Amino acid sequence: MKQVVVHPERCVGCMQCMAACAVAHSLTKHLHTAVMEKPRPRSRVHVGVGLYNEGFPNRCRHCSPAPCMLACLSGAIFRDEETATVLINPDRCINCASCAMACPYGVIRFHEKWDAPPGKRVAAKCDNCDERRAIGLIPACVEVCKSNALTYEEMDGAMKHKTDEVARTVSAAVGEDSPIPAGLALLSGAKKAQLATHNS
Amino acid sequence: MEYVILGNGIAGVCAAETIRGLDSEGSIRMVADEPVTPYSRPMISMVLAGEVSEDKLPIRNRTFFKDLNIKPVLGNRVTGIDVDKKEVMVQNGASLAFDKLLIATGADPRPIKAEGMDRKNIFYMRTQAHVQEMLKVLPDVRKALVLGGGLVGFKAAYALMQRGLEVSMLITSGYPLSMQVDEAAGGMIRKELEKFGLNVTVGMSVEAFEGEGAVTGAILSDGTHASCDLVVVGKGVRPACSFVPGDQIDKDLGIVVNEYMETSVRDVFAAGDVAESMDISRQEPWINAIWPEAVAQGRVAGANMAGRQVPYKGSLSRNVMRIFDLDLMTMGLVNPPPDSEFEVITAHDQRRKTYRKLVFRQDILVGAVLINNIDQGGIFMGLIHNEVPLHIPKSLLAEPTFNFKQLVI
Amino acid sequence: MDAIYDRYTVTEDGRMLLKKAEKDQVETVWDRHEAQQPQCGYCETGLSCRNCVMGPCRVDPFGEGPQRGVCGADADIIVARNLIRMIAAGAASHSDHGRDLVEVLLKVAEGKAPGYAIKDPDKLRRLCGEYGLAVDGKDDLTLAGELAHAMQEDYGTRQSSVTLLSRAPEQRRAIWEKVGIVPRGIDRETSEAMHRTHMGVDNDWVSILLHGMRNALSDGWGGSMIATEVSDILFGVPEPNKSLANIGVLKEDQVNIVVHGHNPVVSETVVTACQSAELLKLAREKGAQGINLVGVCCTGNELMMRHGIPMAGNHLMTELVLVTGAVEMMIVDYQCIMPSIGQTADCYHTRMISTSDKAKFPGMEHHEFSPENAYEKAKELVRTAVENFSARNKNRVAIPPVQPQEVVSGLSVEAIIKALGGAPDPLIEAIKAGKIRGAVGVVGCNNPKIKHDYGHTQLTTQLIANDILVLDTGCVSVAHAKAGFKTLEALEKAGPGLKEICGALGIPPVLHVGSCVDNVRILVLVAALANALGCDISDLPVAGSAPEWYSEKAVSIACYFVASGVFTHLGPMPPITGSMNVVKLLTEGLEDVVGATFAVEADPQKASRVIIRHIEKKRKALGLDAREA
Repeated sequence: MKQVVVHPERCVGCMQCMAACAVAHSLTKHLHTAVMEKPRPRSRVHVGVGLYNEGFPNRCRHCSPAPCMLACLSGAIFRDEETATVLINPDRCINCASCAMACPYGVIRFHEKWDAPPGKRVAAKCDNCDERRAIGLIPACVEVCKSNALTYEEMDGAMKHKTDEVARTVSAAVGEDSPIPAGLALLSGAKKAQLATHNS
Repeated sequence: MEYVILGNGIAGVCAAETIRGLDSEGSIRMVADEPVTPYSRPMISMVLAGEVSEDKLPIRNRTFFKDLNIKPVLGNRVTGIDVDKKEVMVQNGASLAFDKLLIATGADPRPIKAEGMDRKNIFYMRTQAHVQEMLKVLPDVRKALVLGGGLVGFKAAYALMQRGLEVSMLITSGYPLSMQVDEAAGGMIRKELEKFGLNVTVGMSVEAFEGEGAVTGAILSDGTHASCDLVVVGKGVRPACSFVPGDQIDKDLGIVVNEYMETSVRDVFAAGDVAESMDISRQEPWINAIWPEAVAQGRVAGANMAGRQVPYKGSLSRNVMRIFDLDLMTMGLVNPPPDSEFEVITAHDQRRKTYRKLVFRQDILVGAVLINNIDQGGIFMGLIHNEVPLHIPKSLLAEPTFNFKQLVI
Repeated sequence: MDAIYDRYTVTEDGRMLLKKAEKDQVETVWDRHEAQQPQCGYCETGLSCRNCVMGPCRVDPFGEGPQRGVCGADADIIVARNLIRMIAAGAASHSDHGRDLVEVLLKVAEGKAPGYAIKDPDKLRRLCGEYGLAVDGKDDLTLAGELAHAMQEDYGTRQSSVTLLSRAPEQRRAIWEKVGIVPRGIDRETSEAMHRTHMGVDNDWVSILLHGMRNALSDGWGGSMIATEVSDILFGVPEPNKSLANIGVLKEDQVNIVVHGHNPVVSETVVTACQSAELLKLAREKGAQGINLVGVCCTGNELMMRHGIPMAGNHLMTELVLVTGAVEMMIVDYQCIMPSIGQTADCYHTRMISTSDKAKFPGMEHHEFSPENAYEKAKELVRTAVENFSARNKNRVAIPPVQPQEVVSGLSVEAIIKALGGAPDPLIEAIKAGKIRGAVGVVGCNNPKIKHDYGHTQLTTQLIANDILVLDTGCVSVAHAKAGFKTLEALEKAGPGLKEICGALGIPPVLHVGSCVDNVRILVLVAALANALGCDISDLPVAGSAPEWYSEKAVSIACYFVASGVFTHLGPMPPITGSMNVVKLLTEGLEDVVGATFAVEADPQKASRVIIRHIEKKRKALGLDAREA
């Protein structure tokens, strides 16, 4: 079964995945109308920053067993056995944040959403774009990621891809065929130096 | 195989499910005094508040017992255990033989010593039944007195305020939630509560209740009088294990278990609010009577009872609550002894209205208090629970931008 | 949380005000910078393009995703187009600022600008000479009109080159000619830059970047230079003066008025209005001890240079100045005024005033200034400010208790030459003798990416300790002023040679030459030095540096420095790393084209070594003694 695979080293921090995710989870499913919806749709993928302000698309791993599911006081969190996706029933959710206390990745947020009872904040997180996949689309975050930081593939394929990449890095002579393009290496060095001034 | 589970709270339920997952044949019997399908105890205050209807309380289907082929023995307290004969005695006179026994009887409210406790409209808040009783009298009361500034006290006070009552809270210690938070956070919480109309009095307890029949007031420890027509006592809980023979099964604060949730007697296990296990952050035996530990302990006990050796790492105190516009999350050891090896980092941002206190033992996070911006709290939990040595500056954890990525350079 | 503020700024007043901002629930530029993290990598690398609506497009810097925009532009083209648009915006800003001054000059000539006058007729006549205008027998106003018209010609398209290029050494002009980057008209080059970057025009990234150099030169030797020179004509050539800097210049018992922005046209009239006896009397009636006018940013620099008006802070301090709660009014003109400050002021009694129809801000009252009404407007505003004194909320006032730092300012080229005894020779001799190793223009902005004022002060500490004379402008000059570099006492921090020479001349080791538009004073000075030595600017042991730059104007300045032959260091990385071709051209290739390159280094200690190495290399090439760097 295909899954969303995160390649953090390729994230450029553009946050397009966040915008696409919010639109995918909106009522109207179109950017221009989604931004006018009330409640405003929100992203379930969260681009956080690393130690050097590098981007990182943080999303639900759909753990098994899922700590959030075990911690849920109201039985709102469940697993769809067919897709192995951990889902939240907004009608049962009591917004207690017990799941946030359990989630080791910090990917659960609490807010109103169009498909929850009006005026009620509920827990929200990645649902693997189950609605989109049901009609043959790939997850929205993957669709818009142009640097391949998010891919949708068979886990086996992803692992092989990764292994090959590491092998190439190891076998390549220093400075030759570096996995990081020269310009990006330059930029990341410059950004580290900029940040370092704050600790001086 | 004969499994007997005492208690149908979440620990017992999780144990039963785990056993059934590993052993489809064995007989499982569950004995419990509450004659209902398993329900979410932490949610009863939301029923009191009117935020959740009672039908949302059950955490398992009505057909739970049937689906898992469990024989329920409900409405019955256990009166004793014969360890040698491997039998438990039940209130109705029956005795049940077991090969493997789980004691998951939970805890009962800690009673208070005050005169006039027999007045009407004085309640504990522990069970669905307690809440049902309170709901019955709600239309006739105006002025509530909540004893205790702990979690139950808070939840009760919040619920009654939602119902439009005038609520006063008496706290014996110097600030609210003194078991869960430090003084700074306690102060912020108190301010928030008062902002929304709760009367909070610290360093005060009740000597006696007054009233003919129903309660009409209380005499406080400073001799003053407080009028009230409803009292909720929330002074903590104590393990429900009086029926356990202490000369055979080791008891301390609760029933002492080893890392497989087994008591000092072979084939007798304990889990949930009744069990005393090793506390990860305190590094000493402790009872953390909280829902997620009951789930974890029930699952571990169930696995071990069904013959699959699964160790339990230890327990950890933790709580999360939303107090009006203020979110509070607290975990592990938050008030370390002042001398000590512990390093404490605090960050109070007045503009963002956030507070973070982080307690470290060397490079390992052992406790945290978060006020607002609690989304990342689970990461702290993971760090504490897994005793992960930190390789990044500790101060980063106190910053609003802290997130998972910063741990995986 | 205090530790956070240590990481934000090196300044004591800044840290105190950040703490107060937190308490007062005021958001600052640092909060917003933090909220923006991570910043978009496509934009950081220059690989996003929204020049047309077949797009927007972005190129995957990892090489797997899209490598061309919809139009077919590759990384090199997109990066080059984006960069030149930054140059064009920067050049447009300076040059439009210059145009506004030329218009005032014309209005003065026409007698339609009461409150303005020709303050320096000598400079007017010198400029007319440079513009080839006959001066004999003509009065100032006639000349002012003719000069204004001649300068307006520089903005147009009818010339083959911008007039003041004549100030550059002959060798330099020959290079521009050869490379084909002689700026023809100020507006023309900006206009052409926008044309070239339209879809389907210039798609040779080298050609785009060379035009960028031409566009920058049209700013440095055109628009900016006109801005500075006309300001001198109208408001006087700056002369050495003593002033004060840091937040301590605000006075608790006076009406505090802050001017912010870049163009002295408005603020000069405010200076006059603040001296009005009638308004001073009103201030006393309102319980204030006086009217205290202070500057921030480059409008502040303009007033400090010419009048010794005290300086409250630079770019990253502009919000914090309001957080004192002690500002009755802030009057802004344009450029670098954060759109947030109207909201910042909302938390206090401060009246916020915008003055130019091309620069309006949320939360500000607009009072359009024109040459015709400026003085009357200024008086009206100062009166409003004085009346606002009684609205001050004493509970919200907290001016950090810092002692204002003494400053020597006003070192225009004319003033420097005068200090040297009338000719640049003593400076040249000192350089030849190796007592002064060279000179560096440390210029530019603040940027929350770099700890506030850390880059400036650290770099300059190293430079002067190594006997390098520092000239500063813009926000850097405020950082230096606050750090005490612009006093004779600072000579103690200078190397022995620099200390000896500056000590003998009675000048500090760091010279305040003006606002950021006044970077052209540095061009004029290096051109004069090269001319005196008979060499090109690129042969001189000089460099430029912008350790904390942020703006498009800074890009244009850096490019005109490099195109004029001055090696230039940048602290923050410009958005070019998406194309290593562009990076290599700017950091290496340009050496063979214009005799100078860029270097990027955020660490000021490392940057100082790069700069010192460059200066010693240039000394060696000139046959002077060179130290091992």
